This record gives sequence, C-alpha cells and structure tokens, in this order.
Amino acid sequence: MSSSSNKHDEGHSRFELKTLLETSRMLIESQDMDFVLNNLLLITMGKLMVSKGMILLYQPGADNYIISKSKGRNCPEEGQTISFDWDQEVQEQSVIQCGVDDFEMPELIEDDKHCTFFNLQTSNDHIGFLCLGSKGNKQPLNQHEVEFVESLSIISSVAIANSKMFTELRRINRMLDRKVYELNTLFDLSKDFNILVDREEIIRIFKFAMLGQMLIRKFFFVLEHEDERKVMATSGISGQLSEEEMEQLFSLDEDLTEVDDALEKEIPFLAENEIKALIGLQFQSERVALVGVGARANEEEYSSSDYNFLQSLGNLAVLSIQKTYLLEGRIEKERMEEELNIAKGIQKGLLPDPIPHSDKLDIAASNISSYQVGGDYFDILEAPENRLLFAIGDVAGKGMPAALLMANLQAMLHVLLPVDISLGEATGQINDIIYQNTPSDKFITFFWGIFNPDNYQFQFVNAGHNPPILLRSHEDEVEELTEGGLILGVMSTMTPYEEQTITLREDDLLVFYTDGVTEAKNKSESAEYGEEQLFECIKKNRGSSSEEIQEAIIKDIKSFSKDIQHDDVTIIVIKVN
Amino acid sequence: MKNFKINHREVQSYDVLELCGELDAHTASQLEDSLKRLIDQEKHQIIVNCKQLDYIASAGLGVFMAYIEDVRSLGGDIKLTNMNPKVYNVFDLLGFPSLYDILEDETDAIKKFETDEAES
Repeated sequence: MSSSSNKHDEGHSRFELKTLLETSRMLIESQDMDFVLNNLLLITMGKLMVSKGMILLYQPGADNYIISKSKGRNCPEEGQTISFDWDQEVQEQSVIQCGVDDFEMPELIEDDKHCTFFNLQTSNDHIGFLCLGSKGNKQPLNQHEVEFVESLSIISSVAIANSKMFTELRRINRMLDRKVYELNTLFDLSKDFNILVDREEIIRIFKFAMLGQMLIRKFFFVLEHEDERKVMATSGISGQLSEEEMEQLFSLDEDLTEVDDALEKEIPFLAENEIKALIGLQFQSERVALVGVGARANEEEYSSSDYNFLQSLGNLAVLSIQKTYLLEGRIEKERMEEELNIAKGIQKGLLPDPIPHSDKLDIAASNISSYQVGGDYFDILEAPENRLLFAIGDVAGKGMPAALLMANLQAMLHVLLPVDISLGEATGQINDIIYQNTPSDKFITFFWGIFNPDNYQFQFVNAGHNPPILLRSHEDEVEELTEGGLILGVMSTMTPYEEQTITLREDDLLVFYTDGVTEAKNKSESAEYGEEQLFECIKKNRGSSSEEIQEAIIKDIKSFSKDIQHDDVTIIVIKVN
Repeated sequence: MKNFKINHREVQSYDVLELCGELDAHTASQLEDSLKRLIDQEKHQIIVNCKQLDYIASAGLGVFMAYIEDVRSLGGDIKLTNMNPKVYNVFDLLGFPSLYDILEDETDAIKKFETDEAES
C-alpha cells in the first residue's frame, strides 16, 4: 500500500520536474515579458486546477500594483492599478496563504478568502505577485503544490528580469544609436559648412538638418549682423516678428527658454506659431542669433540632450555664417588694397620723372610716402623761355581724399603753366578753385617759384607752406622764404598773393621740404626733429652735391625717428652752379 | 555635384519620385526643388521610391518635414517605399514611421492612398 503510494508520489514529482524543466526552458528563452507572465499564470492554474488567478506587477515609482494578467470570473480587470497598505514584510515573503499564514491580506478576488500570493522576485527586486484563487475543491494548497508553484515563480522571475533587462538594453542601444547619429550629423555638417561660402545654402542646410533630426515643423531663425536683426529662415511660420519683439527675444536671460504663458502673452507671434522653445546662439561669447522651434511632430518632449543638440547645431551654423561675413570683409579689403596700389602708381606718375635738367642748377628731389597714397606734392617743370618752375605742397589729411586733391592741384598747375599770368595771380586763381570745390577742412600749404636762368632771379609765392630754406654761400645763417599769402582753400582770394624775387648766386643752397621732415618724431614720440636740426644738417653738408645733401637729411631724419615714418616726406634740394 | 539623382514619373494619377544615390546636405535642395515643383503644379499624391537611395542625412529628412504639412493640408500625402534596411534604420531612429507611411512598394502605396481616400 505504502509502496504504491510512494510510486504514485514518485511519478507525480517526476511529472512536476518535467513540467518545471520544460517551462523553465520555454520561459528563459523568451524575451517577451507578456508571454512569460501569461504562461506562468496558465500553467499554474492548469496544474493546480484553480479557476481564478492574476499577475500583479509592482510599480516602484508609484508604489502600487498594476494588474497585468487576470483570468477567471470576478477578478479585477487587467490594466487596473491597486495600492495596498501593507507592511514592507509582505514583499519579502515568498508565499502567503490567505487564511493560513499570519498576514492580513486584502480580498482581491470577490468572495475568495483563500487566495495564495507567490512573490515574483529576483535577488534585488520585487517584481510583483502571482495571485491564485482557491482550488475548485476549496482545499488549501498542499506543501507539494506550494513548492511547485514557488519553483515556477522563481524561474519566471528570472525570465522576467531578463526580459526587462533586454528591453532596457534595447532602449539604451537605441538611445546610443541616436546619439551616434546626432554626432555624425554634427560632424558631417561641420565638414559641409567648412567648404561652403554661400550663406544662403548654409542657412538652408541648417534648417533642414534641424527639421529632420528632431522632427520639427515650426521653425524660425533670426540673425543679427551689423546691428540689424533679420529673420533668415522659417518653416511653417506665419506672421512676422517686429523689431521690438526681436529685441525682447534677444534679451532673454537664458540661452534656452521654454515658452510659457507670460511670454506668449507678450509676444503673440510665439503663440500663433506654437513655438515651444527659444535657443540663443553665440559667436565669440555674444548672442548673435536665435532659433525658435515648435513641438516635435512625434509628440515627444524635448530632452535636455535634444536641446543641447539643437544648440550645438545652431552654434555651428552661426560660426559658419560669421565666417562667410569675415571672408567677404577680407575680400573687400583686398580689393580696396588693390585699388589703393593702382592709385599709388597713378600718383607716382604725377610726380616729375625724370627731373628736368638745368646747366645752372644742381637739383635733387624725392618723395617718400608713409601711406599707400599721400598728400605731398612736388613738381619741377620747364616753363616758357627756358625758365624752371619749382612747386611743393602738402594737402591736409592722408589717404585717398588727400591724394585726390593733390592730383587736382597738379592738373591746375600744368594747365596754368603756359598761361601768361604772374605767379601771384595764378596762386589766387588756384586758391579760388580749391576753395570752391572742397570742404573747409581740406586745404593745401603750397609754395612755388620760377627760376630765370638768364638773370638767376628766383620769383616765388608762399601760400602757408613751411618756408623753404635759403643758405647763401658765404653766410652762416639761413633765410626763410615766407612771402606770399594764405593757405590754399581756406577762403576765397580777397587780397592778392604777394610775389617776391631774389637773385641767386653761385653755391647758394635752396631746400624745399614738407612738414613730414620737421615733424618726424623720435621713438617715444616725445620730440620732433624740428627746424633747427634741419638747419644744422644742411649747414654741415653744404659742401656736398644736392643729391648728397638730400641723402644726408633723409639719413638724419631716419636715425632720429628710428625708421618709423608717420607722415609723407618730400625734399627738394637746389644748388646753384 | 555628388552622385544623386531624382527621376520623376507618373503612375496612374500619382507622381513617383525615384531617389538614387546619396541624399545629404548638398543634394537636399534637389529634393526640395522637386517637391516644390509638384506642389506648385497642384500634384499632392506623391510616392517617393527609395529603392536606389544609399544614404540619407538629416538635412534630407528635414526636406520631408518641411513639405509634408503643405501636402497634407492640400489633401495629399507623401508616401515612402522600397527603403533598404540601412536607410530605414535612419528613418526609424529619428521616429519617422509614426509620421509617415513607409511601405513595401509602390503598389502598396497606391493601395494606401486608395484606402485613405475611402476613409475620408
């Protein structure tokens, strides 16, 4: 009798073992949590002949249970959540038999006071409960049955934990994939932008990359350039932003602003276009652009990492756009330099070359401009009756305006040269023309004189120019040629310019110069070269040829100023043979 | 220009754009032009066949985003077909399948257009 009962038990446990083995294999191999739970419930219900059963899954965040599976009449519906007010201890029990164990358990299944709760747990986590109703015969579960279901519960818990981990892994993998793709996008675009100089295209690519990467439909992009803000690109936007509104957007405190009711009220454009977030973009630590984006079309919220991506992409685009502006600026500058070089060539051409030769005079002249084009002018011209005209002038200011005026003066001089009028009259006419044609802050200091080789007379007019120096051959003191009148171009000619005539003798020395000579500065810019030093230099070198004297002066200035030239330098040296 | 080309053909009342090659930042404007042209001609039932599309960058995806609203508001749609797994992966990664009909082939796309119409 006992042996047959043993045999029965043995067969029974072998059957249970087989079930356990098969079930465990099936469950462990499955990565589908739903499948695992469903099978656990069906197998136990079938094995134990229980007609009601549920799987409760613990939701740690909300500290409640969701009914994941529910079979049988009068069981709560699937998807419902329930909270229990029980001790922590309950979650640590492997099995709780209601009505048998000493725990106060809620009545989950109507009219059933003998439910059994099997804990679904791994070593770390409480997953939930398998809750079985009473058996058809109202008998409590026996030891054997409890152990069997416990074993199944443990196997299932491992399977659930696995599938959870698998799901989590898949989620993380996908997130990583997206991150990698975002990085690739940034990397690709930085390469693309680098080779682009077309601003429009950079902006267009930037727009599409934003829309595509984040599933954005509403988008606008405002760029500030040279104090002007302009909407450079939009998608799905209607209406316009006023200048005041742009100012408001640009003065938002944070680089990232999520649009709220208050801001929508202030700027209705944002509400009308369903703009969700505003992102300020920077170039060299200054906010120079702003992007507004609407909701993502897949209804996902923007995460902080999404915002980071949008900002990185935006800053990249702004950097590339700024680069195009800088490039344009440089091209423009190069073009202007090129033009200045051409102008310099033209201006050089206006100066006498070669210097006319005279038997009676030893002449040396040179002009060193500090700028690309300058305002210094000198001329030596052959006038009718073998006479020789010398002129030197300095136009106020530097650069292109001075050069233009200098060219103008040169033209007038050449036109007036053959006309038979006195130097004084001619100076008056030139003054009137310059006065009429130039603004009052533009004027010219000018000196000119005519040498007559027949009688060695030198007739001159000085219109406010640094007085040329006359060093008579046997004198120790220099004379200055000051006679004349006002600077050219300041007022119309009221009183005629006065002429003076001197007679030159052998070895007399005449030096014409511009203020670049006497106003040359020392290294610390604390002192000027000055007239006295110029006089000394001339006296010291009076025995040399004009060429040598000129070179000596230039050398002296250069050593004084340590080769730093602030202004044009023009010198004419004339020695009477 | 890089290796990218769009062929346009008509199948029944539908306009099919065949994308060939790499749709990236530089070629995205070609797709934009094609879509614009169709919309301007009031052709709103568009099938984009991606059979020979080897690569798509986010700027390419952005073009679809920029024009889908226009097309749908005019009662049409853009349906995508014949994607290779690599290209599909990009669409999927960024969440396009929830917004766009991505179908096996042109026949399926036409069927989908027909059921859409029957439903509306």
